[in-house]
Amino acid sequence: MANFRQFRPDDLNKFSKCNLDPFTETYELGFYLQYHAKWPSLFQVAEDQHGNIIGYIMGKLESSPDYYKFSEHYLPWHAHITAVTVAPEARRLGIGKMLTEQLEAAADANDAWFVDLFVRSTNHKAIQFYKSMGYSIFRTVKDYYGDHSSDPTKSSEDAYDMRKPMKRDVKKEHIRENGEKFEVDPSDVW
Amino acid sequence: MSYGRYGRPALKNSVDVQLQTAFTDSNWNTVIRLADKRFKTLKDPYYEAIRIAAESQLDGTTERCTALIAIDELVKSKAVPDYDTLELLEWAARDYLYDTEYAETLGPLRARWVKANPKSKFSVKCLQSCLEYWDLVSAQQIATTLDKAFANSGDRQYMFWSITLTYLLSVSPQCSEASKKVYSLLVVKQLERAADITENAEKVESKDRGLLQEEEISLYYRVMLSHGSKEDFISRMQSPKLGPLAQLKEGRKDLFYQALNAYESWGEWDRIYDLCRQALRLGLDGVTPTFSVCDYKVWKKFALAASKSKDQETALGEVQSILKEFIALKTNTAMYKKNIALALLDTAFRQPEVPGSSGNDSGVTPRVIQIGLYLDSYFDKLSAFDDVKDFVAELSFEEVKGLMEEVLPKMLEEKSDKSSQVILKSLICKLRYLLTTCTQTLSHNASVVDGQEQDKPYQCRLCSTLTSLPCESCLRSVVTEAAQIYQQIVDDSELLAAIPRLDKDPRIDLALVMGNSILKLSGLRPRTSDVAPAPLRDVNPSLFLQAVLVLDTQLKVTPSDVALRLLLAQLYLLLGCASYAYQIWTPLEVKRTIQDSLSPLFFDRISSLSPGLFTGTRPLMEPLRSYYNNSLHSSCPLRIWDAFSSGSYSSILEMTEFDSKLRRSCTLMMSIVEERRATRAFGGKIECEIGDLALTENIDDTTTLLNKTDYGSFVNLESPHGPPIQEFLRIGPELSNERAHLSFLSEQYLDLIHHKPPKDHRPYKPSEAALKERAYTFETLSQLNNSLTSFIHRPTTPAALTSPEATYYTIISLLSAAVLTALSTTRADPYPSETMSVITSSIRTAFTGLRTRFTSSSSSSSSSSTNSTNGVDETFYSLTDMHTLSHVRETALAMRHSAAFVQAWNDRELARDRSGKSTLHKDGLAELKALDAMAAKTITEVKGHIQKLKEQLGGGGWLDKMLDWTFGGAAAEGTTEGEGEGEKTAKVRKAVEDVVGGREGAEEWVGKVVESWGQGVKGWGLVRME
Ligand SMILES: CC(C)(COP(=O)(O)OP(=O)(O)OC[C@H]1O[C@@H](n2cnc3c(N)ncnc32)[C@H](O)[C@@H]1OP(=O)(O)O)[C@@H](O)C(=O)NCCC(=O)NCCS
Repeated sequence: MANFRQFRPDDLNKFSKCNLDPFTETYELGFYLQYHAKWPSLFQVAEDQHGNIIGYIMGKLESSPDYYKFSEHYLPWHAHITAVTVAPEARRLGIGKMLTEQLEAAADANDAWFVDLFVRSTNHKAIQFYKSMGYSIFRTVKDYYGDHSSDPTKSSEDAYDMRKPMKRDVKKEHIRENGEKFEVDPSDVW
Repeated sequence: MSYGRYGRPALKNSVDVQLQTAFTDSNWNTVIRLADKRFKTLKDPYYEAIRIAAESQLDGTTERCTALIAIDELVKSKAVPDYDTLELLEWAARDYLYDTEYAETLGPLRARWVKANPKSKFSVKCLQSCLEYWDLVSAQQIATTLDKAFANSGDRQYMFWSITLTYLLSVSPQCSEASKKVYSLLVVKQLERAADITENAEKVESKDRGLLQEEEISLYYRVMLSHGSKEDFISRMQSPKLGPLAQLKEGRKDLFYQALNAYESWGEWDRIYDLCRQALRLGLDGVTPTFSVCDYKVWKKFALAASKSKDQETALGEVQSILKEFIALKTNTAMYKKNIALALLDTAFRQPEVPGSSGNDSGVTPRVIQIGLYLDSYFDKLSAFDDVKDFVAELSFEEVKGLMEEVLPKMLEEKSDKSSQVILKSLICKLRYLLTTCTQTLSHNASVVDGQEQDKPYQCRLCSTLTSLPCESCLRSVVTEAAQIYQQIVDDSELLAAIPRLDKDPRIDLALVMGNSILKLSGLRPRTSDVAPAPLRDVNPSLFLQAVLVLDTQLKVTPSDVALRLLLAQLYLLLGCASYAYQIWTPLEVKRTIQDSLSPLFFDRISSLSPGLFTGTRPLMEPLRSYYNNSLHSSCPLRIWDAFSSGSYSSILEMTEFDSKLRRSCTLMMSIVEERRATRAFGGKIECEIGDLALTENIDDTTTLLNKTDYGSFVNLESPHGPPIQEFLRIGPELSNERAHLSFLSEQYLDLIHHKPPKDHRPYKPSEAALKERAYTFETLSQLNNSLTSFIHRPTTPAALTSPEATYYTIISLLSAAVLTALSTTRADPYPSETMSVITSSIRTAFTGLRTRFTSSSSSSSSSSTNSTNGVDETFYSLTDMHTLSHVRETALAMRHSAAFVQAWNDRELARDRSGKSTLHKDGLAELKALDAMAAKTITEVKGHIQKLKEQLGGGGWLDKMLDWTFGGAAAEGTTEGEGEGEKTAKVRKAVEDVVGGREGAEEWVGKVVESWGQGVKGWGLVRME
């Protein structure tokens, strides 16, 4: 019941199965279009037989701007997962994994050092999901999110910056053990 | 108008510090003084431009125009302008330069500049500027110049910019039909040439002018598909280099799909068969990752193509053998396994009918066995029902019996654990519901017996009762069965504890099945304009309320279920509980981008249901308004430059197309019109005439407005042969081009008759101004009348409107004619009595019809008489039909305001020309006055009606009354409609009571419903009636 293909802007009219789920953020139009415009092959969707979008991944390829070059937080050429989501009815079928693998293949094809992403530190499902595919925590970004997903008394939440090394990183220089313990401020991440 | 791509341009380095500083600090008067001085001494016209730019920052109108005048002079001079001067002037004019003006001035100037300086690094900035104002003509010229200048540089981008822009021009309204043809030919030629270079070269290098990258080839496919012939396309697809198969080997799936879709649109099934077969083979041989070929769509097309093949048997055999090879692959992920399982199912349904499969033998045919196999593996998945639904609906009756009476019961027996059992049981319930919507379960009975037409012309083959569609007896059994399983879960702590580990809480499915069945039993049907005088008039209120109650009760247990929320929001709108519907809707967080496709589900017709919602602290339409303003503020498609600079040519085409569709969105029109209606209802000021809004700028009668409502998240248990669930739930027909245009035109009419010249406005030449105004009014009225009449008479229109809407728009159209006739007949003219009387009597007839529809309920609601068959009093029908009341009010006010407009016109003429020659004919005035009187009387009735509703809701006893309406009062226990019927309704009622916890369980819900009715009516109480 699923087909995989590149995102088309018309798909935005078929996003309800993914975006009405509270874990999936809805952005302004320009945000989606920017990804489609700049990295069309890194914006992939899964659709069901009626054309409803039941999963998508949005990613980009970049490095930190040059003026960051001498900072310890400088990020070399890498792929970044901005969003990945699968509709509740289509979860645990490997759709999320296939979308991610596809992005990793593009990262390798573009000679990226690693793929990274941010995830709420309480989003255990997603963390499990990334771990199952070989991602590990590289650092904790304190109070990265301006709200808390499950505890309304808190006004912020930490993010994990997770990474998976790509082929280029033969010596595995871009990952580390116990990354949770490396805490940085939101201003340090770019 | 554009908001400027970049901020204030930097002045040339040669400019002195003093002037630079003044410019940076926005000291415009100083800049003007200094620049003027420098110009006089240095004679450099650049300083003149600085002065002009500074002047345009000042407030006066003349100062503002200086930049535009300077730009015009540059255009006329034919000389190549200075680049920095262009930048300065463009910046200076940014706020009042319309796109069309840009295309006649700065665009050509930019193109002229680039022609003279093709290799300058600023050339690309010129292109960017033209794109920002969406001046495609100049942009294409610039791109062509750049392409020529860099032809041998290996920078492929310029070549493809030029091609892409030529294509965009060839489909753009900026181009005449003749030039469109020229550009179409040109772009095809360019791409064919590029393709030939690729075909003939051993290896294409980046410096060659052939096709190389995926985006380039994608552009080639798209252009050939849109501008080339079918034969050419097919022949080019055979290429071993650029054909879809060759591209698929490179992992370029999009091209493969483009070819497949094209073949399908032409019915080229043999080609589809070959292409799918070869592609799947590539996957099997490991040439292409399975990711590229294993989509369900490929399997489905493959099986369908095989079934259409001349040698069907061999072809289907090949499909099955490839499927088997895939099954044997060890690497398949769960998703592919599922796709393959579905493909097997699909193939079984493509097989030619096996003799005996539809005969009297067992219904357990290979197709049924395949459904069984599929469900055995996937019954516990959330999507199981959707996956098999269309297949089940295709089964013959014998097969249905085979599935429901043999295969599924056996499967159920084999499930040992309790959770699997209840999951399978609820799936079976859903299938049973589905079958009540499928015609193969019915057999025709004599529709006329002894000369009497039978109201139940069918016999249900499942339960043998006489019935009409759907079979009520089956529906009732589904309800009781679902309720039993529901109870079983609730009473079993082990099952309850297991729920969080399941794919979906089976109670949701069961509640949905119950809700849907009871809604059907209540008589709820899709509404078109000519049926049911009011949405719930033909519906059994008690059953309707029971359905809502069951679903509402479930929502409390599982508040995060989206499908339940969507369904309930619709049901509460039908029930007249808009404020409660809004509470249910809000947590769905429909915001930003998804509003265009989802907000109609709540906001369509909302001002006619509950204007009071607009008086909340948060402006109801603000999120929609800001979405459209943010997304469409410039005529250039959002983020298009990103796509140009990244070489994403297919994205450019898609984004342009998307942008054009978004500008034509029915939701956009809905949001504007709903807000205006609400604003008027509360006497607010409408800031801008609807035709002058930037968002409606390019909409005229020829524009096709698009409905993109997304129903994907509804749980649709209906058979694919009948209407989908959403059609049962709406107040009326969905958004449509016809309705959007009619609403737009009606608002324009209202703008015209509400227009008041500013009080202190004293025109310089009053009679000349009056003549102009007259001409303008006549012209507008006659245009509006033409447009309205033509939309109303389109054959598709009646099906797009509710009955009150149809009357409203018809009357508006007639009013425009009446007003035009009255205004154009002065005292001195012969009175066109025949024309006028046709118009006014049509208005009167239409209005009387609408009024009767409304008064019939309002008069009886005054007596609070209980409707004997349905057990509810008329208040129920009034509360659930505010849509009619709203249109009575809108129509009556339009009549009154039209009359007032004509009267005011006459008064002004009288004041202007004392001779009285230009005053209007008294008969025309009188006819409009008569309409006004009729409308005024009705408005009084509307007021009285609202007042009465308020009183009724304010009275006590609502808890008992509602519980009686829902569950039936004392009468429900017994024998009202004969023992049989009573028992049947009692069965359903019992099932509902079990699930919701009896009458006590419903008390809180009653409170919410009644409170929401109260809030709605309170809102109506604030609505202006003049
Ligand atoms: C996270 C998410 C994208 C996973 O998508 P999915 O298609 O269901 O995941 P997959 O089926 O590809 O799972 C791959 C593997 O990830 C792990 N995994 C996925 N979901 C998991 C869960 N809920 N619990 C534990 N492990 C999980 C498993 O190891 C799984 O392999 P398995 O099913 O063979 O055991 C999906 O749950 C989702 O959309 N969540 C909401 C949005 C979200 O949180 N996005 C991430 C924001 S950073």
